[in-house]
Amino acid sequence: ISDIFFYFYDYHLVIAPQSPVVQIGSNLTAICMINNTTEVTADDLYWKLSEIIPKEHYIKINSSALNVTVTIRSEKSEWLFCSCKTESHYVVLNRGKFTHGIWLRKGYRPEKPKNLSCIAVQESDTISSNIKCQWEAVGHQTEAVPTNYTLFIRQTGDKIYTASILGPVNKTTVDLNLFPHHMELEIWVVAQNELGKEESEHLIKLANCFVKTKPPSVAVISEAVFPTSLVMSWNSSIDKSYLETIYEIRFCPLGSQKWFYVPLADTSRYIQSFRLQNLQPDTVYVTQVRCKYNNNNKHCGYWSDWSSNVTERTPEDLPKSKPDVWIITSEEGLNKRQIEFICKDPEFSNGRIRRFNIMIEKQKDSIRNGTWEIIPVNRSLTDGSSSKKQITPLKTITLDDEESVTVYVTAINSVGASPQAKLIISRKTREPPAVEKTEVQSHNGQLFLSWKPPNRTVSEYVVEWVSDGERNWQRENGKTNYTAIKGDLKQFVQYRISVYPIYGKLVGKPVLERAYFEQGVPSQGPIVNLSGDPGCYTAKLEWDEIPLIKRRGFITNYTIYYRSGTETRGITVPANTTSYILTSLSRNTKYDIWIKASTIRGSVNGSNHSFTTLKYAPGEIEGIVVGVSLGFLFVVLMTMLLCFCKKDVIKDNFWPQIPNPGDSTIGNWSPDYPLKAEAPRENCLSGISVLNVDVCDAKCVFEEDKASLPLKKDKYLSEEHSSGIGGSSCMSSPRQSVSDSDEGGDMADTTASTIQYSSVVASSGYKGQNPSSLPQQSIFSRSESTQPLLDCEENHDTMVQEGSRQCFLRQPCFTHNAGNENATDSNDFNPLEMEQQEVLDFCPLEEDTEHTAPADCQSDDWIPAPVSSYMPQLGGYRPQ
Amino acid sequence: MNGHVKNMHFQQFMETAATLLSLLLLMTVDSTKTVALSTNQQCGNLLQQTLKITRIVHKESGDLIKTYKAAQGEMSELFCKVSVNDIPDPNISGLDPPARIASIYTHLQAFLPHFKRVYKQQTDLQSPGSPLLKELTRVWGRTESLASFMNTFYQSLFPNLPIPEPAGGPTTLPPAQNVFQQKVYGCVVLKTYKDFMSNVSKELRNLKSKVCTKRTPINAF
Repeated sequence: ISDIFFYFYDYHLVIAPQSPVVQIGSNLTAICMINNTTEVTADDLYWKLSEIIPKEHYIKINSSALNVTVTIRSEKSEWLFCSCKTESHYVVLNRGKFTHGIWLRKGYRPEKPKNLSCIAVQESDTISSNIKCQWEAVGHQTEAVPTNYTLFIRQTGDKIYTASILGPVNKTTVDLNLFPHHMELEIWVVAQNELGKEESEHLIKLANCFVKTKPPSVAVISEAVFPTSLVMSWNSSIDKSYLETIYEIRFCPLGSQKWFYVPLADTSRYIQSFRLQNLQPDTVYVTQVRCKYNNNNKHCGYWSDWSSNVTERTPEDLPKSKPDVWIITSEEGLNKRQIEFICKDPEFSNGRIRRFNIMIEKQKDSIRNGTWEIIPVNRSLTDGSSSKKQITPLKTITLDDEESVTVYVTAINSVGASPQAKLIISRKTREPPAVEKTEVQSHNGQLFLSWKPPNRTVSEYVVEWVSDGERNWQRENGKTNYTAIKGDLKQFVQYRISVYPIYGKLVGKPVLERAYFEQGVPSQGPIVNLSGDPGCYTAKLEWDEIPLIKRRGFITNYTIYYRSGTETRGITVPANTTSYILTSLSRNTKYDIWIKASTIRGSVNGSNHSFTTLKYAPGEIEGIVVGVSLGFLFVVLMTMLLCFCKKDVIKDNFWPQIPNPGDSTIGNWSPDYPLKAEAPRENCLSGISVLNVDVCDAKCVFEEDKASLPLKKDKYLSEEHSSGIGGSSCMSSPRQSVSDSDEGGDMADTTASTIQYSSVVASSGYKGQNPSSLPQQSIFSRSESTQPLLDCEENHDTMVQEGSRQCFLRQPCFTHNAGNENATDSNDFNPLEMEQQEVLDFCPLEEDTEHTAPADCQSDDWIPAPVSSYMPQLGGYRPQ
Repeated sequence: MNGHVKNMHFQQFMETAATLLSLLLLMTVDSTKTVALSTNQQCGNLLQQTLKITRIVHKESGDLIKTYKAAQGEMSELFCKVSVNDIPDPNISGLDPPARIASIYTHLQAFLPHFKRVYKQQTDLQSPGSPLLKELTRVWGRTESLASFMNTFYQSLFPNLPIPEPAGGPTTLPPAQNVFQQKVYGCVVLKTYKDFMSNVSKELRNLKSKVCTKRTPINAF
């Protein structure tokens, strides 16, 4: 304390101890002393750690010393302050002298290291001088107070080697310069920090007990005279003078995963060779050896790694078991069988089978009549275990159903022949009974087959399985009724499993089962096609069974999907179905179809096929045509019948009785005559009455018309209505009817040539038949013209000036016609008149134009009509 | 009658005492045998341990000569046939086991300076990573270790006898040599050492029957 006071002379508060290392969980007692002042007393002091320490932890030593005791709990290092709470001027001015703190470094006491172990490994042909040791560091340590570990190795002669390491590391290496073989080593670890020191247990062992050597190098030889043994020899990886080693040997047949260990009692000494015995002849064995320091059978040291594999084949020996002979039977024509004898190597072939000897005897002979045949086996030199699985075809014979044979087979290797195998093929009609109620189940990665034995005593069973041309079989005891297939079965492959009971050596009837070792989803779906063409509402689908190799399981069902637009429908059908007729389809609709094949493991869709249903069923169009035709015919007939029955009515309607124009009073009509007397006369004849027309003028006009007449003559009957004159369709039809009448061509021509004007007359005349319609007389006097108006518009002014003359020129035409008409019978002319009358009734425009013509032609007294409405007609006619 | 009875009692007492005495004597003898057996076993272990270490050194010295000859080039076989002075005698001297064991120890100590000199010479002749230097270092170190162990063995067998240091003071080394002389010198040293170790092995095998099978009159000197 005096040192502290000296050191902190200028300070009025001093804490002791200074910067202590405290153990977490322990109590720390510190004292704060007032130094060289009377300004404060112990009552004015207080302690502060992370916060002010309550006064109950204080102990007042005297008026100038205050003690505190606190329990250290946290791992984090921190300050412990002693301060003064007095606020006198001196204290305030010298605050730094009235506060003192110490830095508390916290940590744990080291604990005793456990499980110390050391090892020295071999380098080249000697042991490394470095010994690596590791231990289990117990307890905690903090950064503020780390633990230092020191490894001590003391060898005989009290020479000590050490290596230190700081922190939470728990291993280190010590270099001994030379590895001290045969000397005793004492090894221990000391864990030390500022809070304490702990020492581990001392390992006291011979230095060789820490050695791990390299594995020995091994060689294996076989001796032909000992087919069941192999001699192993090895060289130790390290000289015997350094350390003697014991050995451990293990071996296994090539391909096996199970090692056989030679008892340690046989190899726990320094040996360099060993003979493995009771091995299988002609079998490749894998051998390994490892070694360890031999400390007089006291177990210490480390086993080396196992040596690398050394393989050697044991020599061949006589086959010790019979060959496994079997048959493949197939039908060969009527009442014949083809039997192929096949054979597997004996289970204990003890070497490579070079050939088989086979003898086949007909059963009907009482003595042995067969001869031995040699079947050479051309097989490459491979592992014996794999050659056992190979099947050798021996011979194929054709046998009548009523024949039976006995076959004898022996297998020969390089040493000798095996015991003889025998099999009897009975008559087909007398084959011994088969087993009953076979059942196949896949369970725990194996395929189990069970059956109910037949009533007769069975010596053994042969279980045969075939798939994709691969065939194998196994034999079971005659007293068992189930077995697991021992072959290497594949997933998703269908096996045909048969059980043959063997009675003595007689082969019984088989029972066949189909099974999968494991089912899967078919790798391909069925391919669907349409059978024939689709109908309007139906389609027949056909598909083939999925090939066996792609089926990968038993098909539980098929589901047929067909889709039109966005609507998809499905139909499930049994697994044995390969065709289906879809119904309720829509006509003229495209359908996509596919088939899903399902197994218990899942489903797969087949390829899509599209088709479109028919718009019309075959014969439907023909039916419609025939029906419509018949209906039309019926209507026609009915119409004809109706017409025939009602011909009078029709005639009255379409061809009404028109009074004979000849009897009409119009024949006496003349502008000079009273209108009353002329009214009944036909207007066309009025032209005839115009006899005072100037001949010269008429002649000119006549000549002009006459010149154009031949050109028009042929057209009058068919085309006159479409000419410029006959622009009105109202005029055309009646004229055709006129031309079709019984009148002569001249008559027709005459009529046609005058029809432009005579029709006006006729119309007026016809209308004029009504005696009471006087206003129509004025209409009658107008000239009807259907000439195109285009020319009238072009020559409007001219025509107006020439209007009176034009009208005048036409009159001779009527005159001329009238002359011709006089000779004709007025009765024949009636139809024409009637038609003209009807047509003119539907031509109001023409009626309007007719008003002006009579005014110009007849007299100035006539009520003048608008010149413009009449003149274009005249102008339009001239070009014709 | 009473006197006869007293005699019989006394006789019985004497028989019992004799029996107990015999038993005690037997136990004492047996205990002595056990101690002797324990001592012999410890002796045998130490001797066996010494012998094993000697075999290592012998083996390594043989390897060292092969390596040395290979490293010296042509005519290396001839180097070892030349005689060199001031090389320790490979033979073990002394008449009794302690003297012979002490002789082994002093010989080992005597060889150490020669190893040091050979190592120094070969350091100039060989490359730094030469196997010869490594093996030389190893044999040198092994010799030190064996000498230390021999000392321990001697003191455990003869705790009251101080182990003698090499006679005549420190080992005398030959004067400066040329390279050929160095090669010859090194080969002779190593060959002599190998011979010595061979003799040590034989000696220790012989000592086993002499030292550890009967109680040695260790205080007879």
